[in-house]
Amino acid sequence: MFDVAALKRLFVLVVGIVALRGAEFEKDVRPLLAAKCVKCHGGERTAGGFDMTSAEAFAKAGVVVKGDPAGSKLFQHVSSGKMPMGGPRLTAEEVAVVGDWIRGGAVYTGSLAVAKKKAWWAFVPPVKGPLGSIDAYLQAKLATKGLGFSARASERDLTRRLFFSLTGLPPTDADYKRTYAENVDRLLASPEYGERWARYWLDVVRFGETDGGEHNFERFHAWRYRDWVIDAFNRDMPYTQFVREQITGDLLRPKDPQSVAATGFLVAGPWDSVSAELNKDALMKKTARMDELDDMVTTTFHSFQAMTVNCARCHDHKFDPIPTKDYYSLTAVFGGVGFGTREVVTDSAKQAYEAAAKPFQVELARVQKELDSIEAPVRTRMMRERYQALDERRSGEKYRVPLAPFFNRNAFAPVTGAAYRLVISGHSGKLPKIDLLELKPAGLTVRDFVGSSQATAAVPVILPIPGKGTVSEIAWSTDRVMGKSDGQIRVYSLEVSDDGVNWRAVAGSLDHISVNELELPSVSEAEVVAALTDAARARRAELLGERDAWKKKLDAVPAPAMVYAAKPHPVEPAYLLERGSVAKAKEEVFPGALSALGHRPASFGLDSKAPDDLRRTALADWITDEKNPLTARVIVNRVWFYHFGNGIVNTPSDFGLMGDRPSHPELLDWLAVSFMENGWSLKWLQRQIVMSQAFQQWSALNEKAFAVDADNRLLWRMPLRRMDAEALRDTMLAATGSLNFERGGPSYLLQKKGGGGSYIYDALDNDGPAVWRRAVYRFVVRGGGRIFMDSFDCPDPSVATPQRSNSNTPVQALTLLNNSFVMKQSERMAERLRREASDVSGQVARAYSLLYGRAPSGKELQAGVAFIGQHSLAAYARVLFNTNEFLYTP
Amino acid sequence: MLWEVGGGLAGIALAQMEAQAAPRKPGTHFAPKAKNVILIYLPGGISAIDTFDYKPDLVKHHGKQTKGENTITPFFGKPGAVMKSPWEFRPYGKSGKYVSDLLPHLAQRVDDMTFFHSMVARSNAHGPAIFQMSTGYIFQGFPSVGSWVSYGLGSENQNLPSFVVLPDPRGLPPCGVANWGNGFLPAQHQGVMFGDQKNPIADLRAPVAPAVQAASYDLLSQLNEEHLGAHPGDDALAGRIRAYEMAARMQVSAPEVTDIKGESEATREAYGLNDPATRAYGYNCLLARRLVERGVRCVQLFNGGHFGAPRINWDGHEDLRANHSRCAASMDKPTAALLADLKQRGMLNDTVVVWTTEFGRLPISEGIGEGGRDHNPEGFTSFMAGAGLKPGYSYGRTDELGYKTAENPTTIYDFHATLLHLLGLDYTRLSWYHNGLQRRLTDVHGHVVKDVLA
Repeated sequence: MFDVAALKRLFVLVVGIVALRGAEFEKDVRPLLAAKCVKCHGGERTAGGFDMTSAEAFAKAGVVVKGDPAGSKLFQHVSSGKMPMGGPRLTAEEVAVVGDWIRGGAVYTGSLAVAKKKAWWAFVPPVKGPLGSIDAYLQAKLATKGLGFSARASERDLTRRLFFSLTGLPPTDADYKRTYAENVDRLLASPEYGERWARYWLDVVRFGETDGGEHNFERFHAWRYRDWVIDAFNRDMPYTQFVREQITGDLLRPKDPQSVAATGFLVAGPWDSVSAELNKDALMKKTARMDELDDMVTTTFHSFQAMTVNCARCHDHKFDPIPTKDYYSLTAVFGGVGFGTREVVTDSAKQAYEAAAKPFQVELARVQKELDSIEAPVRTRMMRERYQALDERRSGEKYRVPLAPFFNRNAFAPVTGAAYRLVISGHSGKLPKIDLLELKPAGLTVRDFVGSSQATAAVPVILPIPGKGTVSEIAWSTDRVMGKSDGQIRVYSLEVSDDGVNWRAVAGSLDHISVNELELPSVSEAEVVAALTDAARARRAELLGERDAWKKKLDAVPAPAMVYAAKPHPVEPAYLLERGSVAKAKEEVFPGALSALGHRPASFGLDSKAPDDLRRTALADWITDEKNPLTARVIVNRVWFYHFGNGIVNTPSDFGLMGDRPSHPELLDWLAVSFMENGWSLKWLQRQIVMSQAFQQWSALNEKAFAVDADNRLLWRMPLRRMDAEALRDTMLAATGSLNFERGGPSYLLQKKGGGGSYIYDALDNDGPAVWRRAVYRFVVRGGGRIFMDSFDCPDPSVATPQRSNSNTPVQALTLLNNSFVMKQSERMAERLRREASDVSGQVARAYSLLYGRAPSGKELQAGVAFIGQHSLAAYARVLFNTNEFLYTP
Repeated sequence: MLWEVGGGLAGIALAQMEAQAAPRKPGTHFAPKAKNVILIYLPGGISAIDTFDYKPDLVKHHGKQTKGENTITPFFGKPGAVMKSPWEFRPYGKSGKYVSDLLPHLAQRVDDMTFFHSMVARSNAHGPAIFQMSTGYIFQGFPSVGSWVSYGLGSENQNLPSFVVLPDPRGLPPCGVANWGNGFLPAQHQGVMFGDQKNPIADLRAPVAPAVQAASYDLLSQLNEEHLGAHPGDDALAGRIRAYEMAARMQVSAPEVTDIKGESEATREAYGLNDPATRAYGYNCLLARRLVERGVRCVQLFNGGHFGAPRINWDGHEDLRANHSRCAASMDKPTAALLADLKQRGMLNDTVVVWTTEFGRLPISEGIGEGGRDHNPEGFTSFMAGAGLKPGYSYGRTDELGYKTAENPTTIYDFHATLLHLLGLDYTRLSWYHNGLQRRLTDVHGHVVKDVLA
């Protein structure tokens, strides 16, 4: 019901509110229409045939009677709540704005369609301003607040700061003696630079080396992506290429392991193997695939574009101009990408490998065969005995022991039939095999059966058992010599028939207990060896030696690379899913990107049959286009963020409305454009930053500036920074002289998967040079047991971490005081100090130079000497590792 | 698409920025009913219809196929015939609540419990469903329920962590430490795992002589104070000095809480500390009470470990009777003792106990015969007990066989919203800025279940 009287009362009331100034189209009305109306009434959609995006279309619609709000449909609908349909009602003030505007003549200027794309700062292409350096922009802004830069820091502080920023390692004595500029050159050319900066990027892209979730399997070949990133930083790969290879590397050079490894980016995140592979529920499975695509779309747009497109999965983005359709067009881009490990090698290289490996493989096979002939009969006999014993022990129980190669027995109430058959509807291995099968007591047997096809529930393999009589037990052996892998029957039923036409099951695999319900017998290697004859034992020892020798030779042949990276996946048509539900597929969508940017068409002009390579290449082109307003800005801001602890935009992965606004928009633009002009070179950018006066300021607090800008957004000082988890670990190892500089290759383990199929990673108590490599080379587990770095905000890589938290907790203090890693390194430090200085005061001085890069004061020296005299040098080193001067980079 | 409004909304955006810059201070949104939580989690999926959700019709339909009646695809895809519960049910307490013989001790406490009988999880796979119950999201990496409480309410005891985790002594639960992670919240909200009695917190015990430790603290504080003098006003440096002071206090108070010498023989007996079947989990239950007594905001206990063979959690796929009997033997008595002890000490007046799992189990057997039961995310049971709740009350209902929710479905989102409500926290306002969103910690769904509130 439309209550005219109530409406009039409302009108009188609300007009009073805005009447003070009168509603203006540009200021008051345009934003309202843009936010509340044009989603349905404008652009591509014109619900009710009504378009609001231009003055002409608006006039044509006839929803406004100039000067008469109560007589205007627009006003009636928004005040009654009929419109916006499906959205929240306008507030009383907003209704008043509409009314006031109509009363004032409903003047409409410009076009909403244009306003929509141009308004947001991040979508306007960057333009270089008049100033020519980082410092000039920063100082200009400081000056407006009556502030300026702090004085230049001491050379010692600058050296520490520079090393922390560029390599995450402490300077050596020699480094302190070099000039700042010399150190800049050396560090940017050093391989430690890439190791430091790759680690930041790995945070951004949620790089992990296990799947996460319930199974949490290892990805043994994911490290190649990590190495690729390190190498890209060290070679100063142009950023556009850096982006392109991560999206399409496998398409650019499919036989090049490096290039394929780059697409480890797309699949670096968690993967729910259980839902993808085991779940029998079709909708859940589909949802799991959409989750995979969501992860790729989300990470690509967080990382390269600082856009939170994932918000548009269930509804149009609430804050940014990203309709659901854009989101699903992006899922279509990645339709051809799956998760997994692939072998990457050229055909000729593969042939060469096979030819080189063959002789060793033949020898290995020969040795293994003889080893089997010695061990397997003994092992099989012992296993069968133990299974039989178990079977007897459980003889009163309903269920049989599980199926096993050497022991398959099922007893049942006697039946008498004219014909018997075994229906095999599931097996492992290539084809189901049976060496000998017997139905007892009738003594019906089958020997050496090999199924002619795979056995599945849909198409079972049927084995007729000739003969008739009364039977009450079935037994068979499949693989009498253990160690081979014949097809093992997993799902079967024994069926009986009186007429050869109608069959009924009398026993089957469901009568067996699952392996989960009891501990199975096993035979250890030692037991097998003990049971051998002396001669066999001696021969076995010989063979083991031979096997190791051949294996070493085989391992020396360079094998084709295995890479965890984007893996081809069948491309399926993509649909817009209402509320993100796979059960509610709406119209089909085609590969495309964001419609709001406009530097290139959002649609890639590809249909549902377009192959994977065209899809991803089109996206790489779209992102790396020089006219894309986001790409350069986003990366220069990220680099800036890690140097200053503040970004120019403080939300490095969100340049949308919910993100931060740039503190220095002109500087951001100047950096972005100059970066592009300098070949998208990250080392160029690094150099600009560390050579700036801003970066070289003193870090002391200035009260006047603090009062104006406590957060230091204007950069009136260089902030103190606590070492991040990796830098802390690396720095301690370097200081004690323990750091192992070995680069690249498979990761070292700090956590290990525990138990059979338990999927829990416990922290390893391992120590020594193998794990004294840089932290970037550790095996990164999702949800693993606690390690030294955890309490220092080292993130779990299950979600992207564009900015780590920087917490300060008692648990952190306990870790740094008492963790075994710290205790061990304190000992190592003591050893080093003793080696390098003969007396106690010399040792104190050496500790200060290694950890702080300075000499101790007289008081500090005295305190140190006294402490060491009373306790120990290691205890002293432990205290120094815990000091703020060590933990915080000036 | 708020951004289109441009300048008109600058004020709102600015307000958001300010909210971001200044993290929320701990405190309630409205008057709380409870100030502490004990979360008891049973990984693997405890069956509702074999514990608290009595389904007499199962007997009638036992052995029958239920074609057409259900659209549930069991996780392993093998629907069998309806299977009655291996246990008898009988009524208990003033509320007359039917409980199965599997849980004779918990049955005695039904008048203190508030049941949610129509719980719904979003996934039928353990991983996502566990994440949803532990963190509100079906994906890994989000802040856990305990970390919400720590972030929302802050600490009451500066000498102990605000969120303590007591895993099953047989092993970590499925998905491991992700169950009590801080996600994107600061690290101080991460659950701190208490391990063995001697060294309850990792790295708590100084591996040096007490005299060395004391002298080390002294020297450290001397060096840090001097350093601070050269960097006056830097909050992080001062904060770090405080953190070391707290660490020193924690080294004293954590061993005190784990030392149960002072507990009476009656208490030990009640918690099952004299019986090997209940000793380990019973100790954790007792410890939970002691921690809450000392102001720890949230204690999370697990009864059940990870997957693998043999099974050490409630995932009874093969032989439900054997599996649940084995698990209940350790869980039933100590949990009941904890409820009784809390009540007797008046602690149920400001503590809420939550007993839950990732999903329930289907009323049909898996395969043929009296085997196991597969996952059922469409209707399962959890209970809460304590402050602000209607005691002896049952909310929601599943259908006659316990396949699906028949009345008042309670999503995990609802469950979480209700729990936060009891703590005086508005789940729509408990948020943190992360990757472009002022993220609600409970995700964007759900409502408070008003019916269960006292």
